Amino acid sequence: MIAALGRAARVKTSNLMYGFGFFFEVLRETLHFFRRSQVGYKVLINQILFTGYEALAINAIMAVSIGAAINVIGSSLLPQFGQSQLMYTILIIVITRELGPLLTAFVITARSGTAIATELGTMVVNHEIEAYLAVGLKPISYLVVPRFIGVVVSMIVLTIYFNMFGLLGSFIVVQLVKPIPINEYLSNLLSILTVGDVLSGMAKALVFGIVVSVVATFQGFSVNRSSTEIPVAGIRAVGQSFILIIVADVLVTLMQYA
Amino acid sequence: MKFKIKFADQIVGLFILVALVLLSVIVILVGMNQRWFSKDYAFHSSFQSATGVSPGTSIVMKGFTVGKISRITLNETNTVDVDFNIYDTYIHLVREFSILELTVSPIGLGSQLLFHPGRSEIRLEEGAFISRADSPEGIAWIEQELVEIPPKDDTITRLLSNVNPLLENVNRTVVTINRTLTEVNRALAGQSSGPLGSIVGDVSEATARLPGTMDEVDAIIADVQGRVGGLMDQVTDLLYSLEGVSLNVEDITADIAATTESIRDPTGLVPKLLDPKGSLKTFLDDDNALYKQVLGMTNNIEKSISSIQGIVSGLNSEMPKIAAVLNETRTAILQAQDVLEGVKNNPLIRGGVPERVQQESLFRSMREGSFE
Repeated sequence: MIAALGRAARVKTSNLMYGFGFFFEVLRETLHFFRRSQVGYKVLINQILFTGYEALAINAIMAVSIGAAINVIGSSLLPQFGQSQLMYTILIIVITRELGPLLTAFVITARSGTAIATELGTMVVNHEIEAYLAVGLKPISYLVVPRFIGVVVSMIVLTIYFNMFGLLGSFIVVQLVKPIPINEYLSNLLSILTVGDVLSGMAKALVFGIVVSVVATFQGFSVNRSSTEIPVAGIRAVGQSFILIIVADVLVTLMQYA
Repeated sequence: MKFKIKFADQIVGLFILVALVLLSVIVILVGMNQRWFSKDYAFHSSFQSATGVSPGTSIVMKGFTVGKISRITLNETNTVDVDFNIYDTYIHLVREFSILELTVSPIGLGSQLLFHPGRSEIRLEEGAFISRADSPEGIAWIEQELVEIPPKDDTITRLLSNVNPLLENVNRTVVTINRTLTEVNRALAGQSSGPLGSIVGDVSEATARLPGTMDEVDAIIADVQGRVGGLMDQVTDLLYSLEGVSLNVEDITADIAATTESIRDPTGLVPKLLDPKGSLKTFLDDDNALYKQVLGMTNNIEKSISSIQGIVSGLNSEMPKIAAVLNETRTAILQAQDVLEGVKNNPLIRGGVPERVQQESLFRSMREGSFE
């Protein structure tokens, strides 16, 4: 039993170290990405297109809905306590600092995380990775780094859009329910919104983008030879990404408020 | 080829560009709102405590934020140095005799740092020291009305500013009541030698002496009645004398009336007077009998007038005395009533001496009523 426990610990440690090694290799190759001939440029553009642009609609709908809900609930509930001004604070904290990056990360994980893991797993099963190696292309440089950069950029850009739709788009919805003068709304919002709030959301988006892309590519490459491993890799990518995103969210929040 | 794939570069470029533009706009708006691009003027002050003051605290004047606290430090003399900025749009308000006032809500509703501009025309240079309202110079400037302090028009603030003294008064009153009750309890238990005990003793002694006092009051009233009775007798005598004088005056008046009647008709008056058997001859040949009679009548009139003068002057001299005696009598009767009422409503047992209510006249003109 002790031997089994030790073996399991060794395997886990080995896998963890392999994961860290993979992550640092991705970072290292990312630094070289923009200096090399842009063989992966088209992959990067396509990745941003699929991960960012195509997720914009669902991202906007979520942002507007949540922002409108906060506006409607806040403007009807908070005045009962004489704290109407808190509505803007809550809106900013929820949209900009917390839910914006988090929900965007979940959307990207669900849409692109699984797609990346499945695509890379399929390439492994089809021996395409071996082909890249055979012609002298490093799979991490050509396959992982464009996806890594693409997911991170998409994540940050989508977070900006989420903030915009959440803070301003929801105003349009609220106008249908409870009209507020735009000047009053913007003035109150901008008097409370700080660059720190915006940067906090950006920092989380950066971390979440790194987590989602690294986990998805790592799980894609974890497929060995059977096609049945591909959906398992996709499921593991989603599960691990969610867990790591939440852990990272807590850590980043603690760092910001500590 | 699909549209999105064909124009992927443009779509992605636009996607990122719009996001960057939006981000830039938000940052610029936030910066404008937080005065990144405006000049602030630095000043400093000194507070006894940093309670209610922190970096970022707004400095308010008449509800407008005119500046913010930038830094607070505890210096070597154990006072708090406060550095703050005044916005460029309000820098003209920073004049000589300007002060800062920190108002802290006694019920925990936060604090407010108020700026009161001085009445001087001299503007303070950047970096100048601004005094507190509760500093000696601040108090002096306020007393000399060198500072523009607006009336606190906020009802809640005004109420809150009155809460502290009220609470102190309530506290003091409760302590006093408690102490008084303890003393009363001790006095009633016969354990007190203090003022209340002596008061209770005095009251019981006074109550015991009350019958004697009432006898004295009765005597005073009887004396007053006697004096008033004597005066009234004198007045009656005087009125009798006046009646006699009045009768004499009536006789004289009747004589004058008869004389007047006899000379009303002048016809034949001169012949009658000049006739040897007429009145004039009789008057001249009657050994001054008529003259003496007229003289006697004149003397009587003079005496009567002197008597009337004496009576009137006597009445005049006695009137203040009468009024004073009547007043004293009335006061004595009221006091006696109060004493009797006070005895009936003993202060330690009942409600004390009741307040006397003046009864309004019930007479009303018919015209004053409404047509109900």
